[in-house]
Amino acid sequence: MDELIASFRQNFIEQDRWKYLTNGLKTTLIITFFAVLIGFVLGFIVAVIRSTHDKTGKLKIANLICKIYLTVIRGTPMVVQLLITYFVIFGSVNIDKIFVAVMAFGINSGAYVAEIVRSGIMSIDNGQLEAGRSLGLNYRQTMFYIIMPQALKTVLPALANECIVLLKETSVAGYIAVQDLTKGGDIIRSQTYSAFMPLITVAVIYLMMVMILSNLVSRLERRLAKNDRH
Amino acid sequence: MLKKLLGVSCAVIMLGASLASCGVPANTVHSIDDLKGKTIGVQLGTTGDIYAENVEDAKVEKYNKGADAVQALKQGKIDAVLIDSEPAKVFVKENDDLEILDEPFAEEEYAIAIKLDNTALQADINKALSELKADGTLDKIKNNYIGDEAGKSPYKSPEGVDRSKGKLVMATNAEFPPYESKNGDDIVGIDVDMMKAVCDKLGYELTIDDMVFDSIIAAVSSGKADVGVAGMTVTEDRQKNVLFSDPYTTSNQVIIVRKK
Repeated sequence: MDELIASFRQNFIEQDRWKYLTNGLKTTLIITFFAVLIGFVLGFIVAVIRSTHDKTGKLKIANLICKIYLTVIRGTPMVVQLLITYFVIFGSVNIDKIFVAVMAFGINSGAYVAEIVRSGIMSIDNGQLEAGRSLGLNYRQTMFYIIMPQALKTVLPALANECIVLLKETSVAGYIAVQDLTKGGDIIRSQTYSAFMPLITVAVIYLMMVMILSNLVSRLERRLAKNDRH
Repeated sequence: MLKKLLGVSCAVIMLGASLASCGVPANTVHSIDDLKGKTIGVQLGTTGDIYAENVEDAKVEKYNKGADAVQALKQGKIDAVLIDSEPAKVFVKENDDLEILDEPFAEEEYAIAIKLDNTALQADINKALSELKADGTLDKIKNNYIGDEAGKSPYKSPEGVDRSKGKLVMATNAEFPPYESKNGDDIVGIDVDMMKAVCDKLGYELTIDDMVFDSIIAAVSSGKADVGVAGMTVTEDRQKNVLFSDPYTTSNQVIIVRKK
């Protein structure tokens, strides 16, 4: 027990090392939040384009671009995309690394969100679209007032899962020397040479964040389910 | 579809390449004093990292590899890289747009890390090291990697050495030429050859375990590896966690900057 307390003191109290974790947590949350925003916006646009093409056959070129985007992003590892964003795409401009990370994670997440949302849209029976159209709504109105609300409810758990995956995925941001939560733990580890305390603490912080997130989502799901009772 | 994909990726790569070659800011670090308030790149957990933390107002970027820090320096993302002199020479030799500042940042000594309670191994290694120093083997190994005579005196194990003591696991980070780096599948360098010579003296068979630098001490202190040999400088903090052998070489911390 004394040893544990001494280790805690060495890893977190001495030289204010806990600041690496709190600052890292802040960075992780910032990256995740903005990456989720970019991912959702990008994902919804791509999903709408793709499903419009599937249903009506329009938007051929846009669909092709979306397809390339999905293939490239889903076919390459996140770390490689991050390094390419940092060292190749933003190679010559000296911009904030957190911005680079947000862009890389956002673009990556968008590809997965797109496929999740598209699966939701395609899961709604075509009869709904036909009914909407015969009631005098145009395609866009049918999409946003009839299809989307139902599709969203179906894909909500999958979207929440994507957020959780993204939160954990940001732990590779350390590759481009962003000091996120994982890197914060690594820095403490490199200074104190003890593995247990920093790693376990970092793991527990991630776990708590994920638990809070899944709790929020299940509440939201219950709230939405209320409308289902007839 | 495939043709278009190929076209798009070619365009992206060419655009990236053309962007990468322009717009690197001018070098602003000409002496140690200039480091104040600058952005310094280091490899996480190295002594350069420790020194950089103590530079006034400096922002320290901790990369997983020295080579990543050097690449960021080339692209103008950071102002200087603080790293050991021998790897620095290798990096500068391979990049003609970089140079090493004449004044060394600090002088230090490399030693082999051993688990805290393993004083027997420490004594054995110290004895083997002093023998290798006395008969000139250690100098030969160093000269094979550094200086004009490089590549002329490779270390070879003597015929029929005793390997009765079994395996000796060496933890290292093969990103640190000329001390250790990868050559195809093999890990080569001064540290590797030196440890081979030590094992030949002591009757072990050398096994090398490559890992990130800041995990080496944890690997040694938890017993996952018997020794940590990675151009490791003796520091007070490290001595709390591992034993060190006698130093086997001296080195400098130097500053790499862009030429222009």
